[in-house]
Amino acid sequence: MTLSFETKRQLGYRLMMAPALLLMGAFIVFPAFYAFSLSLTNDALLGFAAKESSFVGLRNFTRLFGDPLFWNSLKVTLVFVIGSAVIGQFVLGFAAALCLQQPVKYKSIFNAIICLPNAVPEMVVGFLWISMYASGEYGTLNRIIAWFGIAPQQWLYTFPLFSIIIVNTWRGIAFSMILLTSGLAAIPKDIYEAARVDGATDKQIFLRITLPMMMPTIFLYLFISTVTTFAIFGLVYTLSRGGPANSTEILGIYIYNQSFTSFQLGYGAAVAVISLVVSMVLGLVYVRALKVEV
Amino acid sequence: MMQAQTHLEQATQKKAYLTLVAISFFCVIPFFWVLLAAFDPQATQFLSLPKELTAGHFYNLLVNESGVRWIFNSVLIVGLATLLTLVFAGFGGYALSRTSAWWKRPLLYAIILVRIVPPPALIVPVYKVMLWLNSAVNNVILTLTENVEQQILLSRIFSFVDGYLGLVLIHTAMQLPLAIWIMKTFFDAIPKDYEEAAALDGASQMQTVRRVLIPLALPGFAAAGLFAFINAWGDFLMPLMFTSSPELQTLPLGMFRAFLRVDAIDYGFLTALAVIYTLPAVIAFSFARKYLTQTFSGGVKG
Repeated sequence: MTLSFETKRQLGYRLMMAPALLLMGAFIVFPAFYAFSLSLTNDALLGFAAKESSFVGLRNFTRLFGDPLFWNSLKVTLVFVIGSAVIGQFVLGFAAALCLQQPVKYKSIFNAIICLPNAVPEMVVGFLWISMYASGEYGTLNRIIAWFGIAPQQWLYTFPLFSIIIVNTWRGIAFSMILLTSGLAAIPKDIYEAARVDGATDKQIFLRITLPMMMPTIFLYLFISTVTTFAIFGLVYTLSRGGPANSTEILGIYIYNQSFTSFQLGYGAAVAVISLVVSMVLGLVYVRALKVEV
Repeated sequence: MMQAQTHLEQATQKKAYLTLVAISFFCVIPFFWVLLAAFDPQATQFLSLPKELTAGHFYNLLVNESGVRWIFNSVLIVGLATLLTLVFAGFGGYALSRTSAWWKRPLLYAIILVRIVPPPALIVPVYKVMLWLNSAVNNVILTLTENVEQQILLSRIFSFVDGYLGLVLIHTAMQLPLAIWIMKTFFDAIPKDYEEAAALDGASQMQTVRRVLIPLALPGFAAAGLFAFINAWGDFLMPLMFTSSPELQTLPLGMFRAFLRVDAIDYGFLTALAVIYTLPAVIAFSFARKYLTQTFSGGVKG
């Protein structure tokens, strides 16, 4: 049996794909589907169900939809994503990108400083901000607000969700700045000149030229940042572990707590299924909306 | 008229400076504490100027405590994962770039979707998969040798739960989707003619790969490797789930556990550890920065 050159080459491509597909299949794709089947069982880490888990149909899901803690977690996740990725990082990153378009000095220094938080491992991010948020009059943030005559706050207790939004905003400015800068650089300069000659104001130029021309980049940014923020775990886990009183329990933390603190694997898997469905829907919408070319 | 123009420009520039200084202040301020406290003999949770400087915390971390072990584990696990990612993503990205088979398009779309699966959603099923693989591996180890010490050593290396192999492979799997995208994009930019010319000149397949493809795709490997390293180095979820014995602890876990000693948190120790853990990530990021835009927009636009 002899194989033609072309057949051999096609076989070669498949072989080259194999190791990567095997690993992603075993550790991402299969587990994602397996989450669906686990979510239909009463599997647990301890007790009877740990040895002999059984099929319970949609019971985990009916329990889930009746569980105020699940709705709370969904709401917290939504506020966290919108607050940090859609508003915080985007506004500050866009502002930084626009300012760096101006003929300012020390660009590379500003750039390096703004990028620094993005390079820090999430474990360390949590740790740095625990000191920033430290209570009492010596806490760094409390000392800063004291300049404005505001009394010391217990940040992580009084404004827990707001506090973790600030932390994630801090971490993500760089990414939004870098991506939006590349979008700004792609706008032809002569459009601006033509607009100025026609007497357009800065505000008009921003609203009528910059913003519309930036839309594809902004969508790309919003998609990537929404999806990555949705997947955050370590940053919030080190800062608050979901507390106090579930006020920062984003979906990732809720899944972890249900599965490994309450030991209810089946129920945890049901939450995971919701989280998988949400991100897949986001992904499909995105692929369709932007007509991703591959 | 001219003067009004420059006046306006100056005002815009002033606003730009103010905004940039404010954002930079926000970005840099959390770092002061960790940098000062790491060298302060009286380090606390609060930001303060040290009265004297000491390297004692680093000495303590590396000599008295298990700092060296944690660094070794982190470097070994993340280093091997990065290497494997590069090899598999190199092959995969090349195949995806060159093939015109029916599976090309579906696979590329599938990789986008795989890339956005949130890892916390996988913890329960992945935990199960790792347990199965773990018991399979340990059964094999038991048949290989009866020497208990050898069994322990082999199981430390090849176990999926509480072993090096499991952590290396799961990190590799998590970094592969992005790395394959990056490599595919870079291979797309290398004309097929180069390979064909090399083949016509009588180069073997291996020679073509070594002498032509790898050198041309080097920036792609650099970008893919840097991002794989940064992401795996910073990951906390996987080590948290699959490490329990102290011998296997990596830097993030060592730090997390040290922070859990609620009764007596040693801030000098922790900040020194944070500095050591953060430094490689910052260095890698400074190299990776220039690839960031082309990687992400490229990874999506193809």
